[in-house]
Amino acid sequence: MLQFDRVSLSPESEALREQVREFVAAHRDHMPRPNSDFVTGHDAEFSQKLGQQGWIGMTWPAVYGGSDQSNFERLVVTEELLAAGAPVSAHWIADRQSGPLLLRFGSEAQREKYLPGITRGESYFSIGMSEPDTGSDLASVRTTAVAEGDAYRINGTKIWTTDAHRNHYIICLVRTEAPSENRHAGLSQIIVDLRNDGVKVRPIRNMAGGEDFNEVVFEDVLVPKDRIVGEPGNGWQQVTSELAYERSGPERFLSAFRVFVELVRICGDNPSPHQAAAIGRIAAHFMTLRRMSLSVAGMLEQGKDVVVEAALVKELGNNFEKVLPEIARLVVPDLCANDPARHKLFRETFSETLMLSPSFTLRGGTREILRGVIARGLGLR
Amino acid sequence: MDTRQLILDTAVKIFSDHCDKALWDAAEQGEFAHALWQQVAENGFHLLGTDASGTDAADLFAFLKVCGRYAVPLPMAEVLLANVWLTQAGKTASALDSIGIASATGAVQVPWGRRATQVLAVSPDSHGIALLQLPAEIATGQNIAGEPVDSLTAAESGEMLQVTDSPYAQMALARVNLMAGGLQTALDLGLQFAQERSQFGRSISKFQAIQHSLAVVAAEVAAAQRAADAGVDALGSDRFVEEVAAAKARVGEAVGIVAEQVHQVHGAMGFTYEHRLHHFTRRLWSWRDDWGNEFYWQTKLGASLAGLGADQVWNYIATRA
Repeated sequence: MLQFDRVSLSPESEALREQVREFVAAHRDHMPRPNSDFVTGHDAEFSQKLGQQGWIGMTWPAVYGGSDQSNFERLVVTEELLAAGAPVSAHWIADRQSGPLLLRFGSEAQREKYLPGITRGESYFSIGMSEPDTGSDLASVRTTAVAEGDAYRINGTKIWTTDAHRNHYIICLVRTEAPSENRHAGLSQIIVDLRNDGVKVRPIRNMAGGEDFNEVVFEDVLVPKDRIVGEPGNGWQQVTSELAYERSGPERFLSAFRVFVELVRICGDNPSPHQAAAIGRIAAHFMTLRRMSLSVAGMLEQGKDVVVEAALVKELGNNFEKVLPEIARLVVPDLCANDPARHKLFRETFSETLMLSPSFTLRGGTREILRGVIARGLGLR
Repeated sequence: MDTRQLILDTAVKIFSDHCDKALWDAAEQGEFAHALWQQVAENGFHLLGTDASGTDAADLFAFLKVCGRYAVPLPMAEVLLANVWLTQAGKTASALDSIGIASATGAVQVPWGRRATQVLAVSPDSHGIALLQLPAEIATGQNIAGEPVDSLTAAESGEMLQVTDSPYAQMALARVNLMAGGLQTALDLGLQFAQERSQFGRSISKFQAIQHSLAVVAAEVAAAQRAADAGVDALGSDRFVEEVAAAKARVGEAVGIVAEQVHQVHGAMGFTYEHRLHHFTRRLWSWRDDWGNEFYWQTKLGASLAGLGADQVWNYIATRA
């Protein structure tokens, strides 16, 4: 049976929450249109300010610029920033998974080189997993890295790479050996410098009009051998462990949060019964999801394998993120009226979130892949 | 091993021995489960949560989760809470006490009212509980799970008791825990059936469509467990009613999804009276409507949040772990 134990936060964590709120209140100028989707809002200056607060790489050892805190403190910071709709996209991936990956599998030299810049909010990472012919079937990646003296020669294409056009590094899953019977063998992870190694980055416009994700092309890109993360050939195991971090956080259920806030604002303090029910229904989901997410943070803190639990929270959270705008729109009076000034903030937040919503159940593992992971956890596969 | 685990383990042992298709069928015919009741009474389960028993309300609700898991055909939620409230008021807990919902007409809807020794009537939004003057006029009835729910009308109004945590919300929380247990069994039955049933030459559990249905069910069941626990954690707190509102609303939503998916996985077999599945799904459908359905509680919670204002809703969600 899948177990999501009660977890309560320490008074220190709650004190930290107050600090984050004060910080957010003092930096409202960075949030002209608050959006809780972690991919929107790339703001290097804001990330650097967070770094100065010690709120990036919080769980990492001080020697690399971290502050040796627990996953709970990190959760408090991340959930507060997301709920406020702060711009966190720049450092998000590096803080969430690239840094932890390097801490766990990287060399000492790599940790010393990359981690301090991440914690200062100055160094940003992208994820090089998907390819034009490789989406959910990650083991089918074709990008190759061939050893050549002191270097690897990389050829291939990565795609849907969030912020590759503004970030500094990408950690790519590549084939370092020819495909064999064991399709999970021969894969490795390698760090590529997006600005200095000669990769071509082409932004891809999304349906909401934004340019956040990219195609990244490698044509005979040569990188030093010491850019390999962990053991060559161990890429699959490493990527799998990375996904637990990628899937379990509050960004997997809070993406539509600002729509809820604006809904409550419109309804005022005397909502109709249907409005009150919509608010209560949404709140009940948030309260439960947040507690489940806390449970997963607790399990991560204890060093437990949370692959299935993380998939389950992401499945519930992503579905809810998509349902939230659907619940909200039906109780906003005159939303259809052709008057853009009416409910302006709600309209903007709602339409932006609605247009981003198809991505919620795609990024970080599609709904179909997650249900497969859960089914395996249930013993069905 | 702690006391609670010992109680729950004993309950599991007794219920797994007694609760089977024959017992549920008999209960639906109006037969009282005497042998099971005797076991319950001998083990003192009917007094869980009372001061004299040395157990607390959290033990009581954890026990109700187990009752839900086995679809125990006894009014355990009513017996337990009635005894807690009666003893708190300095009264004697008799054997089969029950609790009903008071209605505007003066009739009280009481599970197993026909056998009840003392009856308490609870109304929404009131901390007062009326002790019904027995004997009362009885019109027998059943809910959609076939559980007896009788309509009792007393000639005279009885004494009033007062309890701290809203009794209506406590009854809703009892249903939440019964549902959390019943949902777990619905998932277990779905998993078991999918692995036993073979079509096209292989176990249907190997089909992606079935795997995904059961993954959805597992996610809903996990959410329901966590929501139920949060409701119990809020006992005695200023947010008790609102946390129960969130739990009843969330778990009620899970019931609709889980019952639908698990029946689909079971195919026609699960639609037969002969199969055990419906003893759980029909109870789940009944329980989600008892003591306030999703809309009722969503409205309560939503009104509270609206009163706080848009810029306080996050604080509200993040305040309690």
